[in-house]
Amino acid sequence: MGLRKVLTPFAPDQSGASGVLYSMGALIVIIDAGGCTGNVCGFDEPRWHESRSAVFSAGLRDMDAILGRDELLASKIKSAVERIGTSFVAVIGTPVPATIGTDYKALKRLIESKTDIPVVPVISNGMKLYNEGEKEAYKALIDEFASDEPANETEQLIIGMTPLTYGRDHRDLTLDDIRNIRGAKKLIAASSSGIDACEYLGKEFVIESPVYKDRIPEGIRGKTLVCHDEVAGKTLRDAGVDCDIATFFKLHDCVKQDGDKKITEEDEFIEMVRYGGYDTVAADICLKELVPDYDGNWVDLKCFAVSGRI
Amino acid sequence: MKREAIYFTAEEIASHGKNSIPDELLSGKNLVYSSPATLAYNSPGAEGFGVKRAGLSVPESVMLIVAPGCCGRNTSLISSMPEYKNRFFYLEMSEPDLVTGNHLNKIPDAIKEVLSFLRDGGKKIPKVVMICITCVDALLGTDMDRVCKKAEDALAGGEFEGVKVRPCYMYALTREGRRPPMVHVRQTIYSLLEPMEKDARSVNIIGGFAPLENSELKEYLTLAGIRNIRQISTCKTYGEFLQMACANFNIVIDPEARAAAEDMNKRLNIPYIELTRVYSTDKIHSQYKALASVIGIDMDDSAEKAEADEAVAGLKSAYPDLKINVGECTNANAFELALSLTRMGFKVGEIYATLAPENFVYVKNLAVLSPDTKIYCNMEPTMLYYKISQSDADVTVGKDAGFYCPDIPNVAWNQDTRPFGYQGVRDLMNKIFDALKEAKA
Repeated sequence: MGLRKVLTPFAPDQSGASGVLYSMGALIVIIDAGGCTGNVCGFDEPRWHESRSAVFSAGLRDMDAILGRDELLASKIKSAVERIGTSFVAVIGTPVPATIGTDYKALKRLIESKTDIPVVPVISNGMKLYNEGEKEAYKALIDEFASDEPANETEQLIIGMTPLTYGRDHRDLTLDDIRNIRGAKKLIAASSSGIDACEYLGKEFVIESPVYKDRIPEGIRGKTLVCHDEVAGKTLRDAGVDCDIATFFKLHDCVKQDGDKKITEEDEFIEMVRYGGYDTVAADICLKELVPDYDGNWVDLKCFAVSGRI
Repeated sequence: MKREAIYFTAEEIASHGKNSIPDELLSGKNLVYSSPATLAYNSPGAEGFGVKRAGLSVPESVMLIVAPGCCGRNTSLISSMPEYKNRFFYLEMSEPDLVTGNHLNKIPDAIKEVLSFLRDGGKKIPKVVMICITCVDALLGTDMDRVCKKAEDALAGGEFEGVKVRPCYMYALTREGRRPPMVHVRQTIYSLLEPMEKDARSVNIIGGFAPLENSELKEYLTLAGIRNIRQISTCKTYGEFLQMACANFNIVIDPEARAAAEDMNKRLNIPYIELTRVYSTDKIHSQYKALASVIGIDMDDSAEKAEADEAVAGLKSAYPDLKINVGECTNANAFELALSLTRMGFKVGEIYATLAPENFVYVKNLAVLSPDTKIYCNMEPTMLYYKISQSDADVTVGKDAGFYCPDIPNVAWNQDTRPFGYQGVRDLMNKIFDALKEAKA
């Protein structure tokens, strides 16, 4: 049904898209009336309070949406580009363009014709989760910028280590990293969206979380349920933790083992904890409210996309 | 390319005229820069009383947010406040729902599940369930009155019969329309009142969602024989809230409550008087005089006026050349406050606010007294380049002004409770004094 009685909604796809693009020097335009941008900058983007970045709302009004005034949007973007130095424009979708059926390819062409700089459209709709938005952003960036003959050969690139998954431990990619991504000698997928991006590139990659690779969080013991991004769970498993993975986000076949589960509803998590016989639950502490009667060991594995705690 | 924030002086704007305000200062003409200063405006649920908190100002109510997950995401900021525990619930919309509208069919079952969840957890069953919907349903043209009625009907005959279901429209798309979300939510709230016998000694103060921080108005009303002064924020129970229907008249302290007051006038036969929050003590005096005349009482506000004027004089005497920057994330109309401060004898260096045509009159007057005051638009994209150290002000008023000038003493003046009248002037002067004193220490 999609009913949440205890938890608040998790980070949506548009926040994921913005998180990937944030460090790349783009002029980011969220196609909304203002509320979605407020959610991104005021809540889902921890870097916002530390460094200013060019994240704008399209400032849509009802008649802009009803009449599909893409020309007006393109003009506003042109005006902003003229005043703000940027190498490219990223436009990020929200429920509004999803409802009115915005044609992103046409919008890209329209804005490019006015601004003469590349436009990267990310098709997100606020109804999917952040990892999907990150995936779409990586794909759009690769399509636009990844060179088949990269100028530099990077030793290794870590994909998908965004603040929404890793909080303060995030590692940003630059636009040059994307340009040279096909020349990277080693690709590391650090999260679910990292796996999707690496698969999209069609290159060999390693699935591991640099945060948990050499660090099993203190307190994990016995049979454990890890509820986080799938790569965090897999890395802990690879490090020797006897665990099942539960994730509200994507669970790829290349990670999934018996006992692992992609969960959607609050009740599914409650059921796993109640009947799974786990000695330890390693998950963001906000999930404990779902299972107040669980008296086993709980290790707080922060996930910004879940709780918004950095 | 000039990497600097665009501004216009008061004199420049006044010379353009009311009908030619530069596009850079107007909302809707540009992309919106999301500085922390504009987040409160951008996101109705993020700061202060947006639609979500406002809807829950009805005592014994809960809210079901029926929307894409993104619309409810930042509610966790509010949910963590103790008074909102177990009051927010979410029915997340999926992509197929967008096409089929099936999310609306799920609402009756979702309400029953929420009410059962509260019952099973030993919580009190709410009297009202507010259904908060967002831009998607605005565009789909959802008839929420019908949806809510259907949900109420579905509760009939069961253990939850009698629980009211009402819509709250968090339509950011319509925020500059005829009925913006904060106007609509007030109408929804007061639509719950049912006609009842009038009490000549009862008055409502409507417009705010937290108590009015003003003792003088209540004192004047008490002296006039009013025994019950009700505000929604001070009603502890739903029953107490319903008593607001017996008021003899309403005092509207926020223009966004005007439509609700009109509704109450028509439906409940409660007339209203509107008072505006201003920081000029002469204007405050005129307003109280008008109020006294309308309700037919004698009102002596000389002592309070003198106290407020004294607070102004005290600050002026301690800091004769005080320069102040004013923002719009504050319990004031930034332009009116800037003009009042200038008339008090202070200097206003910069204003950070979106200039609506109805505020042009303040700028016009400001242009005469302080032509060089710079006016920036909080939402304008080049605010990205506002250099935080460029101002030489001594103090700033407003949360946004504090953001732009982090090294200058700041009085945020954006508390939930509403300052008003002479007390507002007095408290603001004292806060500025304290902020400067603290900075000096």
